[in-house]
Order: sequence, then C-alpha cells, then structure tokens
Amino acid sequence: MTSATQDPQKPAPPLPRWQGTPRYIADEGLQATVNVAVALGRPLLVKGEPGTGKTLLAQAIAEGLGLNLLTWHVKSTTRAQDGLYLYDTVARLNDSRFGDRDVRDVAQYIKMGPLGEAFERAATGERVVLLIDEVDKADLEFPNDLLHELDAMRFRVAETGREVVAGLRPIVVITSNAEKELPDAFLRRCVFHYIEFPEEALLTQICRVHHPDVDERLLAAALRQFMRLRSIPELRKKPSTSELIDWVAGLRLAGIDPAKLDHALPFVGVLLKQEKDTQRLGRGDWSRQAARR
Amino acid sequence: MFTGFHAMLRAAGLQVGVGEWLTVVDALDRGAVGPSLREFYAVARALVCRDEGDFDRYDQAFAAYFQGASLPQPVTAAVQEWLDNPLQRPSLTPEELAALQSYDLEELRKLYEERLKEQTERHDGGSHWIGSGGTSPFGQGGSHPTGMRVGEGAAGRGQAIATAKARRFRNYRSDVVLDTRQIAVAIRRLRRLERKARRFELDLDQTIAATARNGGDIEIVERPERRNQARVVLMLDCGGSMDPHARTVEAFFSAMKQGGGLREVEAYYFHNAPYGELYTDLAMLQKKPLADVLRSVPPHTYLVMVGDGWMAPRELFSPYGAIEYGMADAVPGIERVEQIAAAFEKRVWLNPIPENYWGEATITALADIVPMFPLTVEGMVQAVGALMGRGDRRQKIEKRSPWPSARDLDFDW
Repeated sequence: MTSATQDPQKPAPPLPRWQGTPRYIADEGLQATVNVAVALGRPLLVKGEPGTGKTLLAQAIAEGLGLNLLTWHVKSTTRAQDGLYLYDTVARLNDSRFGDRDVRDVAQYIKMGPLGEAFERAATGERVVLLIDEVDKADLEFPNDLLHELDAMRFRVAETGREVVAGLRPIVVITSNAEKELPDAFLRRCVFHYIEFPEEALLTQICRVHHPDVDERLLAAALRQFMRLRSIPELRKKPSTSELIDWVAGLRLAGIDPAKLDHALPFVGVLLKQEKDTQRLGRGDWSRQAARR
Repeated sequence: MFTGFHAMLRAAGLQVGVGEWLTVVDALDRGAVGPSLREFYAVARALVCRDEGDFDRYDQAFAAYFQGASLPQPVTAAVQEWLDNPLQRPSLTPEELAALQSYDLEELRKLYEERLKEQTERHDGGSHWIGSGGTSPFGQGGSHPTGMRVGEGAAGRGQAIATAKARRFRNYRSDVVLDTRQIAVAIRRLRRLERKARRFELDLDQTIAATARNGGDIEIVERPERRNQARVVLMLDCGGSMDPHARTVEAFFSAMKQGGGLREVEAYYFHNAPYGELYTDLAMLQKKPLADVLRSVPPHTYLVMVGDGWMAPRELFSPYGAIEYGMADAVPGIERVEQIAAAFEKRVWLNPIPENYWGEATITALADIVPMFPLTVEGMVQAVGALMGRGDRRQKIEKRSPWPSARDLDFDW
C-alpha cells in the first residue's frame, strides 16, 4: 500500500478548507471527511440512499474549492480502460485512405478518457475534481482494474509509449449505490463516507435553500407528511431528499393550501415510485396501521 | 498518538491494519483535522470503516476509549445461536423412540384431522395434542419418529413426515447485497461463449488483411460479438430443514441472478425432494408439471440443484412420499431426480450442510445421481469446474449411514 507520506508527487498548494456551498449544506463530519480526503490525496468513496445527494457532493466540492469538475458516468459496459484513453483505430484506418492527416502520428488518434484527462490537467498544474459516478454499475473487476492508476496516479499509453503522470493528485470522488460489493483492496484505499438521511431540521434547511421564499406553513405541513411517509416500514422505496424538493416545488406551483396537506397527499407520484406503494397507500392500509401504532 | 484507540477499534472487531492506522496519524500530522473531537470522530471513521455496517462497532470503540464506556460483551453470538436453534429438541433414547407408535402417512393425516377437531387450546410438551416440543406425532420442534409438523418454525428432528401448513414465505430476494461478491466471482467462470449474430464488433486483424488484399481500399470486416450464452436452471429446496440456510441460499441466488452475467437463469422450488410438479414461485402457489419443465429445457443448459437432501427416507424412496399437503405423486422422489438428471448433461447439487453429514442415506442416494458439492465459495468453484467439464475433483463420500444406496433398496411399500 502506498502511504500518502511517500507520495512521489510534489506537495500540492494548500486548498482552502471546504465548507459546503450555499446550495449544498454539509454537516461538520462531512466537511472534515472531504478535507481529509483532499489533504491525503485519496479517493473519497460516497455511499448512501438514492437521492441523498451523492453526485451533487462532487459538484459542491468543485464549486466550493473553485475547481473544474470532470464526470465519468459508469455504466454496466464501462471498462477501466475507457477512463484512461481510447485509441481510435477506425479513424486512423479511414485517414490512411481518405484523410489528409499523417497516419504515422499515432498520438492524434489517442483520446483521453475522464481519468486520463484529469491526470493530464494535473500534469499542467490544474487540479480538478473527478467524479466517478456509480462505480458499482460496472463489472465486478472494474474497481480492481483502477487500483493501480488511482494509487500511482500515472499510466502508460501502450500505443505511443507516452507516460501520463499527474503532477498533482486530482480530487477523486466515487459514488456507489451498493448494488454490488466493492473489493476490499479498493475500499482500503478510499476515504469512506456514508451520507445518512438528514434529520428533520436539516431537511427544512435544505428545502429553504432550494425554495428560499416558500410559505413556512406549507413547508412545515409538507415535511410532516413526508416524514410520516418515510416512517412507514412497509414502504418498498422510501422517498428521498431530492423527491421532497421536487414535491415542494410541485405543491407551490399548484398553490396547494397547507391546511389541506394534513389530510391528503397531492402529486403522490412524485414521492412514491413503486406501483404497489401507491396502491396500498390509496387503499389506506397504512393510515389504519399508523393509527394503531 | 491514540494507539489505545487503535487497540480498542480492533477489540471491537474492526479490521484496522497498521497501514490504515498510519493514515489516520498522517491525517492528524498534516493538520487536516480540526481541534475538535467531533471532527476527529468523523475523520477517523472515514478512514477506518469500509462500510456503513462498521459504524456501530466504531461507535462502541469510540465511546469506550473517549468516554470510558466499556465495550459491550459479545452476547450477540450467544443470542444468535438461540435464534438459529429456536426450539429445544428433547433427546430421546432409541428405546423411547421405538416405544412411540409409528404411523404411515394416510393414518397420520386422518389422525391429524380428527385431533384438530377435538383440540381447543395450545399445548407444549405433551404426547397427544398438537403442540410444540413434545412427542405427539403432531406439532413442531418435537420428537416423534414419524410425526407431522404443523405451522412454520424450525424442524425438530429434521424428519417431519408431513407439513400441513409449514411454508416459508420469506423470499430468497435477488437484491441481497451482502456476501454475494465472492459467489459472483465464482459463477463468473461459468460461461459458454458463442458467437451469435446479434451485435457486431470490428475485426481489426481481418480488416487490415482484407484492406491490404484490396490494394489499400478499406474493407471493413465485422464479426459477431462473443457473449456468454450459458443458461442455468436452478432448483431450490426451501422450507423445513433448509430454513437455517436461508441466508446462504439468498446470497447464492442473488449472485446467480445479478452477478453471474449469465444469459438466463430459471428458478424452480421444491420441498425436500422434487416430485411430479415443481413450484415456480417461492410462496409455492404456482405449480408446473416436472415433465413440462424438462421438455422445455434448451440444449446445453446447466442444472444447479440446491438443497440439504436431508429428509425422512420414505420422502425420497417411497411412492406418495411427498409431505407437502396436496402434492401426491406415485413416483418416488428419487426417480424424479433421475428423470431430472437425465434431462441435463451438466448438473451439480450444492448442499449447504457440512460434508461430514453427507453420510445420510437420502444424501448419498442423491449424490449418486447428481454430483454434490458444498455450498461454499470453494465448493462453488469446484462445482463450476465440474459443470464446465473439468472433471470431478470431489472426494468420495464415505457412507456412514446404515441405509444402503437407493439402487440397492428393494422397497415393498
């Protein structure tokens, strides 16, 4: 394991402490964790329920530190190589016949992937935030294939023999929905943060950030209903923060009277996405149970 | 710095190596942690824990070190053990067992219905009424050589002859995440790569060769993509003596469904032994005739059966041996297994119980027909190897049971 103290890279100029952004509210623990990941130059692995703002965190870090953000959306077919670079053989083949470019220059057919680009920018002294989104979507071996590159912050382009070395460690944020388990060797190298579902006070604060001029009575009533929904243990998919924000937006647009909210759930489709949840809620299965509790 | 905390973390059961601890020290060294305990709490947690499941242990260790609380005693293991074996099994001597009257299945059903009419209250212990923990032929968790289990719960002697209502509705969910990784990696080896004209990829070597032949005029050559065409039919034993293994089977099932990258996985369920009909859902409400299942199997499909194979011998060897209420089959389960085996060239049986128990008559009989492997990661690797035709590397199973193999039995029921 490469300890950060034996880092071959030159020390990065100190970045300001990250303290969240006006639109992204981070508690003390998250702030400290992010700052440590930045200081140690280790990837920050973020897990948490869907809709708790894992992806937004990377944007907020970039914004808060005044850096550019590169995003690598991982899909089920993504390979680790795609993140480094792609060698466009077809373009070269085509150029050999029809093009006017010099096909002997292989370098022009090498296209950097997000990770490769982050390294290249770092080589020129620009530190970026790289978001590797939903790392668990890819193949089981995907994280392992990235280990060396994330550790050493360098890789070699086999076709040209050029070595790409990141002079500064980019800030890597990796999100996971825990669809697949990640390998131990990978986890050991990451700084781990689990975004817990926010408490009611923080939720209120978050809603105010997104809806600054919201009617207080409406917000309070909406939150009451929202928390009640979330407290139903039988729910197949609990509504998340992002869904609450959308719901409040919908309620405001439609001009719903806050007093009515206690007895009805308008636009329930914004909050509940599973057909079974909606059906059972409609039949009143849970309100009766809640009354008994 | 805080080395005592490191020791405490390890005492709490977190796997914190020296390397990880040095990272924490390094973070403190660099002044990356503010002078507040709350910040230290968050940072050390981020560096030491790898999963939110570790947080609880971390909190215990943190409280123990910084607030002088004591680490909780590991009672969980003991409690877990009770939960795994929820009912006391009275151990009876063979003489006592023999003294209890044995019934055949028909008699038993009749008696059960009669007694159900007479009984008006709950019973635990006794030898006559329907209850639990007793020696009456009816009830659960009790000891009777040919008893009938009523309702759900863990089986007592593992040999209940009939289950009138015992059904585990607990689904072997395909979204369980824990522990599936290793299994999924093992299943990865199960592949049948074939070129199917569905998606095409560029065949670079052929393209260059063709272009060269063409005098430099580009000729693109494509070839169908290689994809894993492996199909698997799963047959899972569930309920009864399989209940203690539900978690393992769940992990296996989810790995099979989502992690294996297989083309198709079809699952069927049975209780103890397969009979004339298999269930297509875990609730055991939908049935499909075994003959239909076997007829529709595409060639080169792999068969994976999962079950403990542990049951009363007559459930496997006798006609009408099924204990599932409403499942009557004149053909003994063992012959059904032979029919299944005949339909699949490549087949394995995964058994969740440890190999030293495999001497039981029913298990050896099944292992004779379907090669049996333990339901462990190691066993899975061997099983996949066997499916892929890399020979059978199992050790011979030693027969410890007085029961002869199924084939030598000459039943006259």
